[in-house]
Amino acid sequence: MSDVLVSARGLEVHFPVRSGGALRRTAGVLRAVDGVDLDIHRGETLGLVGESGCGKSTLGNALLRLVEPTGGRVTFDGTDVTGLGRRALRDLRRRAGMVFQDPFASLDPRRTVAQTVAEPLEVHGLRSGRRERAARVGELLELVGLDPAVAGRYPHEFSGGQRQRVGIARALAGEPDFLVCDEAIASLDVSVQAQVLNLLRRLQRKLGLTLLFISHDLSAVRHISDRIAVMYLGRVVEVGPASAVGAEPQMPYTQALLSAVPVPHPALERSRQRIVLRGDVPSPADVPSGCRFRTRCPHAFEPCPGVDPALQPVGAAPGHVAACHLHGVVGGPVEREGTVASAR
Amino acid sequence: MTVPAQKAPEAGAPASLRPARPRWRETLGLLVRNPTAAVAGLVLLAIVLVAVFDEALAPSGPNEIAVEDRLRPPSWAHPFGTDDLGRDILSRVVLGAAVSLRVGFLAVGIALVVGSVIGLLAGFYGRWVDDVLMRVMDVLFAFPAVLLAIAVLAVRGPGPGNTALAIGIVYVPIFARVTRASVLGVREEVYVRASRSVGASDWRLLTRHVLPNAAPPIIVQTSISLAFAVLAEAALSFLGLGTQPPDPSWGLMLAEGRGFIDLAWWLAFFPGMAIFVTVLCFNLLGDGLRDVLDPRQRTLMAGGGR
Ligand SMILES: Nc1ncnc2c1ncn2[C@@H]1O[C@H](COP(=O)(O)OP(=O)(O)OP(=O)(O)O)[C@@H](O)[C@H]1O
Ligand SMILES: [Mg+2]
Repeated sequence: MSDVLVSARGLEVHFPVRSGGALRRTAGVLRAVDGVDLDIHRGETLGLVGESGCGKSTLGNALLRLVEPTGGRVTFDGTDVTGLGRRALRDLRRRAGMVFQDPFASLDPRRTVAQTVAEPLEVHGLRSGRRERAARVGELLELVGLDPAVAGRYPHEFSGGQRQRVGIARALAGEPDFLVCDEAIASLDVSVQAQVLNLLRRLQRKLGLTLLFISHDLSAVRHISDRIAVMYLGRVVEVGPASAVGAEPQMPYTQALLSAVPVPHPALERSRQRIVLRGDVPSPADVPSGCRFRTRCPHAFEPCPGVDPALQPVGAAPGHVAACHLHGVVGGPVEREGTVASAR
Repeated sequence: MTVPAQKAPEAGAPASLRPARPRWRETLGLLVRNPTAAVAGLVLLAIVLVAVFDEALAPSGPNEIAVEDRLRPPSWAHPFGTDDLGRDILSRVVLGAAVSLRVGFLAVGIALVVGSVIGLLAGFYGRWVDDVLMRVMDVLFAFPAVLLAIAVLAVRGPGPGNTALAIGIVYVPIFARVTRASVLGVREEVYVRASRSVGASDWRLLTRHVLPNAAPPIIVQTSISLAFAVLAEAALSFLGLGTQPPDPSWGLMLAEGRGFIDLAWWLAFFPGMAIFVTVLCFNLLGDGLRDVLDPRQRTLMAGGGR
């Protein structure tokens, strides 16, 4: 049994961009996910960060085949997910779930908490009989820190944090191995964010879950993740152990992202230097040639416009990779003074 | 622990400040608090009861001819008067309720089932399913309604069943459009995606999540269409295509009474009033339901506004 649970190779999700008008001609493609290579290890929490619109949600959805990939491959526990038939796909849905961002939108307002949490049980025929199902719903509610007595209530009777717990209970009902949490705490109150984050961490340990924790909140990601992946314009541009990516980011984009996070220490905070990136994020419908970050990179040099850099080992920590020409030239590693070293 | 502040403030608002979602008992409660709709509902209930128990309630048979009692104005013996054949108009209005409402309910039932299924499939699946189904609906809708109904009746012959079928076919595109529009909104809801993410089949999504949440506009449309169907039945009977004499139907009685309008006004007046009151009540109920089933309206009303 390999220790990689979910793996993406050259994964692409391109959306057709339609021009207005009656003919609905395809005017171009929007490269929401554009050649992602990523391995998620069994039992780990992988944080996925990046600016809004860089394709985090689309990647998470494509891994679960909630969005059809237009290219590349996703394997889940050794099986290729892209060609699954109906039954196999349903089984994947049991083994891999999702927690959504907005707990006010992700629960059907016309169904009770019990009905919502029991849905995966019914769909997959897990616990037959009303009694067993009700008992299991109670267990699940307890697991996420809710009183089983609330099972008969409707979503609008709950606060955001409580609703998100219901959403987590639903996602756990099928006893999944893998959970994608897409901005699962972003729309909650600050105090509640911490509670839900800790709940996720506790559940992950207790149930041995593998988590993909998508967020643009770097502090939360550093708090919960074993490893961090950084995404830019549809591509994963740096992956590594959370400590290494957090302390010694190797890709200029990651450095800029991290420099924007306040440090909870007055002296350090005063010495923190913000790297402000020039310009706007290019449109995913018009991705720059070569390195897609070059248009905003403070260190861009000759090879950047011509060659698309691949992920390669960087830094001291094992398993730390980045896609950047500063870490070697085309075809082999090379030293370049005054680049990464000074940026560190 | 450092979880920095970055959230949408309104998302953390207490549940009570969010629009409450429609639920059955709540809906009924709010409807009762809307006096117009409540009265309309009660009147309709009375009319339906009259239609159901028509034979027991009618003072005499609908076709009992009494030549000596021809064209009597309203009196204690004949509260609505008698017609040119001496038949009791009250009895005929009561028995006509059964015919008019049966045709109305049957017609709207056909339109509701067929139209909603078409709208549901078109809205949910989109793409070519949507294109094909809705183009067919457009064609159907492009025909003038009465002409289409007349064509159906010409092919299948007159009679209450065929009248209902004709009106039903005419209303199918309306239900298809209303349903589709509502489904287009619901389809994109996160809870539908969430349900799919745990493995729910299309059938389950459609029946457990999409349809229940898309229902309010369809319910309102049903109520309003019932009003129009009663009118349409009257119109078709008036044209001689619907209910055939001597059976009583409000529309037919109106048509027959027309010739006596300056001689004996009551012949046309009472069936006309029956149509008017029924149509008005269905419309008022529809408007009331529209308000009550709209989540924003609901919060306003529940919050003491209006
Ligand atoms: N169904 C779709 N059709 C067309 N374009 C889409 C679709 N879904 C996403 N996109 C586009 O793909 C890009 C990536 O979107 P995505 O939601 O994955 O970003 P994200 O990183 O999750 O952003 P955020 O942080 O705002 O959630 C965006 O430009 C978005 O507009
Ligand atoms: Mg997103």
